[in-house]
Amino acid sequence: MPEIRVTPLGAGQDVGRSCILVSIGGKNVMLDCGMHMGFNDDRRFPDFSYITRNGRLTDFLDCVIISHFHLDHCGALPYFSEMVGYDGPIYMTHPTQAICPILLEDYRKIAVDKKGEANFFTSQMIKDCMKKVVAVHLHQTVQGDYNMTPDRHLGAAWIDKCRPNLLITESTYATTIRDSKRCRERDFLKKVHETVERGGKVLIPVFALGRAQELCILLETFWERVNLKAPIYFSTGLTEKANHYYKLFITWTNQKIRKTFVQRNMFEFKHIKAFDRAFADNPGPMVVFATPGMLHAGQSLQIFRKWAGNEKNMVIMPGYCVQGTVGHKILSGQRKLEMEGRQVLEVKMQVEYMSFSAHADAKGIMQLVGQAEPESVLLVHGEAKKMEFLKQKIEQEFRVNCYMPANGETVTLPTSPSIPVGISLGLLKREMAQGLLPSAKKPRLLHGTLIMKDSSFQLVSSEQALKELGLAEHQLRFTCRVHLHDSRKEQETAARVYSHLKSVLKDHCVQHLPDGSVTVESILIQAAAHSEDPGTKVLLVSWTYQDEELGSYLTSLLKKGLPQAPS
Amino acid sequence: GTGSDSCHGARGGLAGGVVALVNSVGLGPGLRAWAGAGGARGESWRAWGGAGRGAGPRLPGLGHGAFLWAQVGYQDFHAFDLSEATRVLEWIGDKGVFVAGYESRKKNEILHLTLPFRLSVKENQGLFPERDFKVRHGGFSDRPVFDLKHVPDTRLLVTSGLPGCYLQVWQVAEDSDVIQAVSTIAVHEKEGHLWPRVAIFSSVAPGILHGVRLSSLKVVDLESQKTMYTSGVSDSDELSSLQVLDAHTFAFCCTSGRLGLVDTRQKWAPSENLSPCPGSGGGRWCAEVGGRGRGPGPHIASLGSDGHLCLLDCRDLSHPESSVQCAVSTPSPAPELLRVTWAPGLDNCLAISGFDGTVQVYDVMSWDGMGGQAEPLFTHRGHVFLDGNGIDTAPLVTTHTWHPQKPRTLLSAASDASLHVWDWVDLRASC
Repeated sequence: MPEIRVTPLGAGQDVGRSCILVSIGGKNVMLDCGMHMGFNDDRRFPDFSYITRNGRLTDFLDCVIISHFHLDHCGALPYFSEMVGYDGPIYMTHPTQAICPILLEDYRKIAVDKKGEANFFTSQMIKDCMKKVVAVHLHQTVQGDYNMTPDRHLGAAWIDKCRPNLLITESTYATTIRDSKRCRERDFLKKVHETVERGGKVLIPVFALGRAQELCILLETFWERVNLKAPIYFSTGLTEKANHYYKLFITWTNQKIRKTFVQRNMFEFKHIKAFDRAFADNPGPMVVFATPGMLHAGQSLQIFRKWAGNEKNMVIMPGYCVQGTVGHKILSGQRKLEMEGRQVLEVKMQVEYMSFSAHADAKGIMQLVGQAEPESVLLVHGEAKKMEFLKQKIEQEFRVNCYMPANGETVTLPTSPSIPVGISLGLLKREMAQGLLPSAKKPRLLHGTLIMKDSSFQLVSSEQALKELGLAEHQLRFTCRVHLHDSRKEQETAARVYSHLKSVLKDHCVQHLPDGSVTVESILIQAAAHSEDPGTKVLLVSWTYQDEELGSYLTSLLKKGLPQAPS
Repeated sequence: GTGSDSCHGARGGLAGGVVALVNSVGLGPGLRAWAGAGGARGESWRAWGGAGRGAGPRLPGLGHGAFLWAQVGYQDFHAFDLSEATRVLEWIGDKGVFVAGYESRKKNEILHLTLPFRLSVKENQGLFPERDFKVRHGGFSDRPVFDLKHVPDTRLLVTSGLPGCYLQVWQVAEDSDVIQAVSTIAVHEKEGHLWPRVAIFSSVAPGILHGVRLSSLKVVDLESQKTMYTSGVSDSDELSSLQVLDAHTFAFCCTSGRLGLVDTRQKWAPSENLSPCPGSGGGRWCAEVGGRGRGPGPHIASLGSDGHLCLLDCRDLSHPESSVQCAVSTPSPAPELLRVTWAPGLDNCLAISGFDGTVQVYDVMSWDGMGGQAEPLFTHRGHVFLDGNGIDTAPLVTTHTWHPQKPRTLLSAASDASLHVWDWVDLRASC
């Protein structure tokens, strides 16, 4: 059936746990398999019961496609494949494949080790899940969580005018008008600078991927321009691994960055050095990037504990912190923290939250829709009441239908697929030689044989098809006898038939052959004398199987008789 | 000094977190880029040089795109890009503003935006990552919107534009995010290119004050559309601004500079000025009532398209108190966009815009006499510096407004669809 059916299983009308089921061209595809960061129970996973009702997932689903490595798009993958049960292929790009397991493991550690969750996927499950992954190139998938303004190192999201039947886009931030990147950067630099100027230390806990590199580049530029001397450190470990991956995937980055790679590798900094834990006790100002990002363990937490008591210092949290982590607590304003061994840590250092979120805003979403030129648009990730205006905006500006289904609700889109068919030149020439060319108002019936080889379609003449199949052709010919009252000679009868048909059948090719017979296209009419009755002539009308329609028409026409000949 | 000087040797802190960074490439002649930040730490100023220093290699690949711009005296600065430029900035409470497009060839959007949350927070600002405007409601207008007023204590808006001489009334939905057109108010004067000015008499039964010329000035009851008051005169002076002062009084300003205060309890008998500001040669005028100036009562500030700014005491409009020539280089290229506003939270401060891509803040107490040059307390140049186009026509500030609560916070919008929220530091307030 030429329909596309879309059912969000998560992220229908709420944020998080992105998971969309699409039935297209007879295949069932799951787009993303995310985790909802706000819940601790089953609500954090998409509702798979919608599909498990139909039987085994592996039988029902043809594949899973993961757009990118953010946890709200891939966080539920190991649960889905290993605990619910799916053995089919999982497609994602190479960088996503490399980075996904790192983030999944990181998250698993917090959930299980820090928060003591029981029913969570294991490290082994993550590994087993990743074994099912097939990495693909960018032209085969589109990046999720796009942003239309270029990140310093990643390229801006740009899409070809692919004119899809359906564009599915998030609308979470469609109601947002983001402030300029420069302002946010300025704010960040201002804070770092002020702290360093007064002799304080700045701790920036990072997730090790994405933002860390961008902030490094920003600080490096700033330090260079302003000739600052305070040291900047970048902790080793997970971050090194991430840098390693970034170097591998340099081809995925911004054009400008790529150009400079030869002269100077952007990820080897002049002012930024590797951190040694002993440096944390050094006097004087410094900036340290340390993992992990939510201050929940490891080096960043260690450094935090050392520096928290001094109000000259500052910690800048660059992203979302999960409940239960130290990061989350201090961002909620908590100033006294209970650490292990019932020790209380008093937080006097300044706490700042810098959001460099990667989502597109209203303008960006409209730009993307304008570039892709879809037939219809479907919104996910937003609340219905808050998407009404965007829906109207899209419908008006692009004159397309805009849908916003809730979780579990199916949207059906009729499509008119076009299948290109090649026609053999010989067949085409033969049909054209038959006579008058077909026009839009007078279509002609074309006989041929459709050959489907691999994924191409060819229309060839029946003879050619038979030849290819090695079969002999059999001709079917029908002959009909029409009796006419006419005492004249056969030749005259034939002539009368000819002039009659010529005047009536203006659209057809009517010919009078030298041997007296009349042809209408490929139909042959011969006049013969009746064996017994000289006053009756017999018209033999003969046609091939292909001309059945015309043949029957002629027969009934002739049966009506010929007009009186003028004497 | 010029942009290429470098004084990075100077140590010292910055009052109120002022940062001054320079793009030596982008500065035009005569633009001063140094911060004069006095402050608790006692240092006079701090500045850094740009690429002209020559120390160290320029970072390849980042080039001009990575410049840091001059921002003098800002406490806070947020820059946004709307999808279309706006000429209106109308507050709803102190957390939301309305903006609206003014393009003539397409549907325009009317948006209700809520301010970034962190701007409403007094303490612990650093903990709030929300720096973005949120579109809370949106609607579509077939015509460009030149003026928009919110009817206080209701969910209604009144807009004015062209073509067609009528006012459109809108309803901001409660249960969804849509702004819907609900009714129109006819304005019987058929004027091709003139659009009616609007002001709202806020009460249980709101009245809409509107008019194109003095002759067509009237107050209409919003619900019944009955006329409650008319000027009843035949003067054809074109109106440039209307302002409701209290339940019975309003002020008008004509493009000619004629000003008046009207009490609607009486038949038309406004107290008026005799003539436009002395020393000015005509041009187009707008005005706003507010502030306190020298005397205890309210004052009118009147701004002309040639840069003249005039101060009048409401009790005696016939004798202007003072006048100055503002620090603007050319007469306004778009006099209809001229705007002068009094700061609701500061004594004696006003802001002007409509001459170029800047907004200037003046202290009227520092003026003296008539006709002298005035220097602004502060000039917001963000729309010029952050202009992505560079060489093309510089953007023009279309409107600005003061934050109702935060004394030194302003919003400004420009013709390139930029929208800024900025909080300037009063550099004289050093200890």
